[in-house]
Amino acid sequence: MPPKSPRPRRIIAHAPPESFVGRAEPLREITGLASPKAGRQGVILLAAPRSGASELLRQSFDELFRQRGGAAPVYFAFTRDDAASTAAARRFLHTFLTQTIAHRRDDSALVSASPTLRALLELAAPSDYEWVERLIQSFERAADEGDERALVRLCFGAPQQAAARGVRTVVMLDDVHVAESLRGEVALGHAVADAAAESGAPFVLAGLRRRMLDLVSGAAQHAGLDSLRKLHLDRLKETDARALLEGLAERYGVPVSEETRDLAVQQLEARPYLLNSVVEAAVASGSSLNSFRDFQSLYVDELLGGRVGRRFGAVLAELAPSPPLRRNLLRVMHESASVAGGKSPVEVWMKRLGADVVEFERMMRLAHVHELASFHATFVETTPGPVWRDFLNASYRLQVAVEPRALVVADTLVEMLKRAPRTMARHYRREAALNLGGLMSRFNTEEIPASLLHYDRFARMYRGVVREEVQSGLETETDSVRLPQIVHAASCASFHPPMLQFCDEERCAVAHGLEGGGYAEAEDVVWIAAEVESKLEAGRALTELWLDRLEQVAASCGFGRVRLWLVSREGFTAEAAELLSEREAYGSCREQLELLSARLGLAGEGVENGPADEFAIELPMGEDTELVAAHTVEQIARRMEFQPEDINKIKHALIEACINASEHSLSTERKIYNRFRVEGDKLVITVSSRGLSAPTAAPENGFSPDKNGSDAGAKGRRGWGLKLIRTLMDDVEFERVDDGTRLRMTKYLRK
Amino acid sequence: MSEQLAGGSPPASQGDEVAVVYAGDYVNKLSGQRIERECLTRLEHGCRALVISFRDTELVNSIGVSILLGVIDVAERRGARVAFSNVSMHTVKLFELLGLTRLVVLAEDEEVALSTLKEFARAPGSGGH
Repeated sequence: MPPKSPRPRRIIAHAPPESFVGRAEPLREITGLASPKAGRQGVILLAAPRSGASELLRQSFDELFRQRGGAAPVYFAFTRDDAASTAAARRFLHTFLTQTIAHRRDDSALVSASPTLRALLELAAPSDYEWVERLIQSFERAADEGDERALVRLCFGAPQQAAARGVRTVVMLDDVHVAESLRGEVALGHAVADAAAESGAPFVLAGLRRRMLDLVSGAAQHAGLDSLRKLHLDRLKETDARALLEGLAERYGVPVSEETRDLAVQQLEARPYLLNSVVEAAVASGSSLNSFRDFQSLYVDELLGGRVGRRFGAVLAELAPSPPLRRNLLRVMHESASVAGGKSPVEVWMKRLGADVVEFERMMRLAHVHELASFHATFVETTPGPVWRDFLNASYRLQVAVEPRALVVADTLVEMLKRAPRTMARHYRREAALNLGGLMSRFNTEEIPASLLHYDRFARMYRGVVREEVQSGLETETDSVRLPQIVHAASCASFHPPMLQFCDEERCAVAHGLEGGGYAEAEDVVWIAAEVESKLEAGRALTELWLDRLEQVAASCGFGRVRLWLVSREGFTAEAAELLSEREAYGSCREQLELLSARLGLAGEGVENGPADEFAIELPMGEDTELVAAHTVEQIARRMEFQPEDINKIKHALIEACINASEHSLSTERKIYNRFRVEGDKLVITVSSRGLSAPTAAPENGFSPDKNGSDAGAKGRRGWGLKLIRTLMDDVEFERVDDGTRLRMTKYLRK
Repeated sequence: MSEQLAGGSPPASQGDEVAVVYAGDYVNKLSGQRIERECLTRLEHGCRALVISFRDTELVNSIGVSILLGVIDVAERRGARVAFSNVSMHTVKLFELLGLTRLVVLAEDEEVALSTLKEFARAPGSGGH
């Protein structure tokens, strides 16, 4: 095993680099700014609330700081604590000089110190002394003169001054949306954007996306920014969010079960800030995350008095500083959220809030920026984010309905526990959905065999036929259907919210497109597709019900030419197919959908969920149970079409791994966990067990049997497991984890 | 000559010079120890050559291999010879990897193994490798 390299040191990042997951691409983009090839590029980071933008910048800072000799990273976050723009400007200058000098001295301790400007001058390298001194003198002069504009310009112009002296920096300005709320005669948001655009050095401007968009291309547009690279930062992918939570839990020693981890990821919308908050709350209270109840208790505490609640509370206080106005705002938001669709006319909001136009606009713009509501010209819509809604409900009951806190806590906790299985069920259904909207959005006038849209024909021709033969049959079909060119596809509920009563959002989609000829002479058409839930072939009554529903959607939305398409996993009965034909609707089963998806080049992109790619079994140790694992992996390897010789190698390696796990772990639960993951052209097997790793009775052996002396010989004949595994598999990683051992083996498919 | 199944087989009779012992479908610690016991019994009864047949064997794990090595060891010390027969290609590779093929005769089947070892058993004063 190669020697482990020392862990990179943390400077301002909160998480160790190895625990910072799911943001490799933006991290690479930001750190790439330090390359001399990057020139004076800038990046606008458009961050969704609680998406972890600040940590991304801090990680970027640390990574750049560790690259000695390159551009000096500077991280500065605007905060309301500065109150005035001059205070923010002064703090920026101080931060800029501290971090630049720290980098040039390779003195990371200086980053967190607060030396005076004069002390910094003493610390500056001789080559920097002159420009740092000049900058400090200019600053002191501007401060004495009380010229706010000059002071702000000077402070935020520091990177430009440094660049002019050949000192390269990458300035990362965080929470830029806060800058404009600071008091002062200078519009700081604009001043910062000006300074960044003119700095001659690479920079990052980061902030809440809705406000940053205004700054880049909206009402507050700044000419120098619209051509810059824009990075969008939203919630994590679910796999990354799971990894983040697991990593945090491991780091802080918080026990977490897989079920609770998955629930937390769903309920907390895969947002890094929220995931962090819950784990930190678990650490603070000494709780675990082993059960739904553990998690929901922490979640409710976080909402009602923890970091999450305080953060939402602070935003609400910024929106509505006076308590009566805040109560009103809570009431209106809560009531609006309870309305189906969550939308209300602007006039209603204004009247109910009792605020004048200016105050109302200010409040709504802030609510919009923080994504608590969407503020449009004529209506306001409460954001459907579940965490915000939970906070809103609890806050309404506490502050508006003035219910006893204990009752609100108890009710909220019970409600959360009752909701947990629904949340997970919703997640599973979403994962299992056929993604009809995604499929239709790829229609582009292709001509496809008609049997793919007519289940009765498909069943007649291909039922019980193997996939290869079906595909050849489709190639020879003469009857075809030309698909429309779809220009827009969205969920049916986004056109007609009442559909949510009948099915999940992703199971019914509306696609607008054009049929026949060029754009000028083509006819508009709207395809409405729905996934009908039926374990067997869908019957006539169910089919009729769905056709009626979709026709109702078309009528309600005023769609002209409409094509209805129902998809039922197992297809339709003869009577249902007859009805589909009578009403000129299409009907397909899952297999037809997969074939259609493959023809459109979409295999593996959601419509076809693809073959199962991960298998897991849990074995009791002993009693030859490794054979069970070996036979399981044999089946999987056969499905993947591994050569028989390789299948034997895989089986053997797995047997050795299981024996290793049994022999070398002082496991109290006596279980071996096997995971088999099919990843494209490779099979990845993970064998893990919990418990302490027992000291090995025999040393790691070479392959030559030792035959000198019985005892030494017996010992010499053991301890081959890991070496055998390394010979039999292509990649092998063995690691000791906190609570046991894990062996990861990979075999590549060679056909 | 007598033929013995590893485990659950009739007791070995005295006087046979060559014995065949059958390994089970999975040679692990337990079944390896059965083979070992059977082989040691045969050797104690004067057997000078052992054939271990792997005709039913699908897998041999590293513990099984270590026990087989022990059998070879004992046989060598007693001047007896060991042959493996009907070994699958995968298991042959495993034995090669762990150096067993240098210590035993590998025969395609039991007949070939027996005839090879009979020659050895008849040879006066033969012993060792």
